Amino acid sequence: MLANTRVIKEIPKRVATAKRQNLVLALFAIVLLTIPLGASPYPLTVMVDIGLYSIITMGLIMLMGLAGQISLGHAAFVGCGAYISGILTTKYDFDPWPALFLAALITGGIAAFIGRFMFKLHGLILAGVTLALNLVFYHLVSSLIDLTGGAMGMMSIPPLSLGPFTSQNLFFNYYLIWIIAILLLIFSLNLSDSRPGRALRALNVHAGGSEDAAQVVGVDVTKYKVWVFVLSAVYASLAGSAYAHYTRIIEPGTFMVQLSAMVALMAIIGGRSSPWGAFLGAGLIVGLRQLLRESIPVLVGGLSGSYELIAYGIILVVALLFMPQGLISIVRRAAPRKRAVLDES
Amino acid sequence: MDFSTALQIFFSGLNLGSIYTALGLGFFVVYSVTRVLNLAQGEFVMLGGMLTVSFYTMGIPLPASIALAVVITGLVGAGFYRFIIYPARNASGATKVFLTLGFSFIIEGVALRVWGWEFRILPAFLDTPSIQLWGATIFGQTPWVIGITLLMVIGLFLYFGRTIQGKALRACANEPLGARLMGISIERMALFSFILAAGLGAVVGALITPLTMTSYSMGLPLAAKGLLAAFVGGITRAEGVILGGFIYGMIEAITAGVIPGGYHNAIAPLILVVIFLSRRRGLLVTAGKG
Amino acid sequence: MKANLAGIRTVIMPRRRRERSTDDTRLLEVSNVSKSFGVLTVLKKVSFSVARGNILVMIGPNGAGKSTLLKIISGLLPLAEGEIWFKGQKINGMTPHQTAALGISQLFQDIQLFRNMTVVENVMVGCHLQAKTDFMSSGLRLARARVDEQSIFEAAMKQLSLVGLREKASSPPGSLSWGQQKLVGLARALATGSELLLLDEPYSGLLSDEVDKLNQLIFELQSQGMTILIVEHLTDILMGIASQVIVLDYGEKIAEGTPIEIQKNKRVIDAYLGGEQLEDEGS
Repeated sequence: MLANTRVIKEIPKRVATAKRQNLVLALFAIVLLTIPLGASPYPLTVMVDIGLYSIITMGLIMLMGLAGQISLGHAAFVGCGAYISGILTTKYDFDPWPALFLAALITGGIAAFIGRFMFKLHGLILAGVTLALNLVFYHLVSSLIDLTGGAMGMMSIPPLSLGPFTSQNLFFNYYLIWIIAILLLIFSLNLSDSRPGRALRALNVHAGGSEDAAQVVGVDVTKYKVWVFVLSAVYASLAGSAYAHYTRIIEPGTFMVQLSAMVALMAIIGGRSSPWGAFLGAGLIVGLRQLLRESIPVLVGGLSGSYELIAYGIILVVALLFMPQGLISIVRRAAPRKRAVLDES
Repeated sequence: MDFSTALQIFFSGLNLGSIYTALGLGFFVVYSVTRVLNLAQGEFVMLGGMLTVSFYTMGIPLPASIALAVVITGLVGAGFYRFIIYPARNASGATKVFLTLGFSFIIEGVALRVWGWEFRILPAFLDTPSIQLWGATIFGQTPWVIGITLLMVIGLFLYFGRTIQGKALRACANEPLGARLMGISIERMALFSFILAAGLGAVVGALITPLTMTSYSMGLPLAAKGLLAAFVGGITRAEGVILGGFIYGMIEAITAGVIPGGYHNAIAPLILVVIFLSRRRGLLVTAGKG
Repeated sequence: MKANLAGIRTVIMPRRRRERSTDDTRLLEVSNVSKSFGVLTVLKKVSFSVARGNILVMIGPNGAGKSTLLKIISGLLPLAEGEIWFKGQKINGMTPHQTAALGISQLFQDIQLFRNMTVVENVMVGCHLQAKTDFMSSGLRLARARVDEQSIFEAAMKQLSLVGLREKASSPPGSLSWGQQKLVGLARALATGSELLLLDEPYSGLLSDEVDKLNQLIFELQSQGMTILIVEHLTDILMGIASQVIVLDYGEKIAEGTPIEIQKNKRVIDAYLGGEQLEDEGS
């Protein structure tokens, strides 16, 4: 029904790079899901952090790497997820699970609304506006004290639970977050090599695409930019909600520009072009953080240890100056993957 | 609202407006010459404030402290250009923005290491914490802020408009190839623009420390606000930056005076974002990308 | 066996339907179109129409506004004054992706291939309108998405074969010669399933055998019912192709007619000899 079969037979079948990718994916999943069986609690908490960061970074990589747009305010979306989940569960007695999904939906909606106006702007200006919006979010949350607890934060957020397990339980939390991460990874990988994925790459002027050429073949450039923005916001929101139910305490300072810059850093280091880069970038930065904390006495925890800051800055600068494609490109060079390969002789 | 309150808001607006204008000018100088959006501008402000405090507490008289702080910050700016921006001069604008972000991190980390957590403060320059004027109470620092900003603006206008060097800087911004053909070294001009912006930022830092105190992490939020002000007015023209700065200052002052609580911190930038998004370019920019 | 370009599109991608306009003779109608950039008036009340299946060639000295007119037709630039009708529908004010959906495609003078993907992927983007898979179905890799993906790939490969570049499918665009890149750009434009093809100086930068090949393709396209609007300032070649010629000078239409009539038109000769030669070797 599809076509003239005689014609089709003359075209070589498309060799999926998916085969190899599926293998890597499966191995990745297996390794990650079996780690907890042999590990002690502390490394697991570190892995949970990596998982959370990876989720946010994956969304950002789709926005920056696929579509070539900059967002320096993504922490606001993480915060949206966290706070909406928190508010729904503490003030309105929602169950954590539906709250998680609702938060993602609402955050996506906010992104859709803002996006419509924002993507008429170009590149660098977007960076400035997203930065400002992050600021707005921070102050908004700090001022709406009745709703959010203000600068002191929101407490006693109920944990997610499945049967007898709650996200108080480290193992449950680990699996929860990593299963989400892996599912989102699969989603992102599928997206890259598909009609919408190609459309996004086509309009990515930074990477060699052309908005005009994309437009004249029928790609609604603004709509696609908004959609990938929404998607990245949803990823961030999911991570934020999971974080809220995990730590059960959230405060506005966590979702400030520093976090936005951190995930941007992870996206750049890991490699802006592939969702795998998210794990690389997150793993590297969190790993570095752990290294620094163990070997050098630190003034304060969280993002603000001074040596950490300096190290992050130096890494970002070095990565941009010497490895503009990110670490993923080094991996790629070792195992080149081809797109739409033909098995013609 | 009675007259004295309105007057207070007005002066507060002038005060804030001056600060945002000065911040925006730092962005403007760098952007107009190099087309780089320097997110580290806020760090220059922070350094200016912190260094001034340190020197002053060592016993050095205030004017000298400020001068020293400005010089050192200027040097930092020079190093920033030479070692980070210059090597990346052929990279995309996005890469350069992230480089400035990376540099901000480094400066923040160093500041945290050297000065720690705490907020630092300076006494008001005029030795009076507040002034009474027609019934309104304004910060003693305000005349200094407004005055010095005015001086900076005038100075910049004269410099860019009248001197050969200033014109050379403008040439680099408008037509780099032509400038090069005329024998102007773009790299020298770029270096100079960074030093200038760093110095300007340091002065702002010293000015605002008596008002708002400095701390290691104030750089990025300040940069965000300064950038917003500059965009709204139009970052491609100095007049735009000044206009944007004062609009932001006034809006923030009015919202602070009228709305209780800390909402103005969220609402003022929000209003500015809305203004900007509705025009999609600066107020003084006529066409094209702003 | 020469495959039917138009036929493949409807056969492989049955979902895409081509609407036929009610008025079959005039596919494109440009009416009093004016455009200025600031104080510079680039187009002054230009009017003409193109019949379905014709090849209209627009010539004129550099700066006459020809490329601008093409961009206005496809929607990349807004017009200041006038109207444009396509298949009986007013299209001025539409965005380029909307005009693409109606059946207008364009090949730019500088081609603008997507350098961040392979040749066949470029053409696959051209097939964008032929499918509807959105983010969710692609991300979840639903069956429909997989089927669409295969169909798009095959349609793109077919398109590439028809311009003779099948073996370059998985190459990066930068590795192709300019002439080959032009052909890829053409394949991408054709993949949209359009009825009106806008070519902006397609012959620029081509070697003589590539010029012949392009001519061949254009004839073939016309024989399958495609309507083509070509902008050029190379005049000798196009006399062989054009059914209709329009001459623009300083944004105004100064002549219209068959190639022979145009060659004899005094105003045209003045316009060309006034600033440029009538016979150009290329741009």
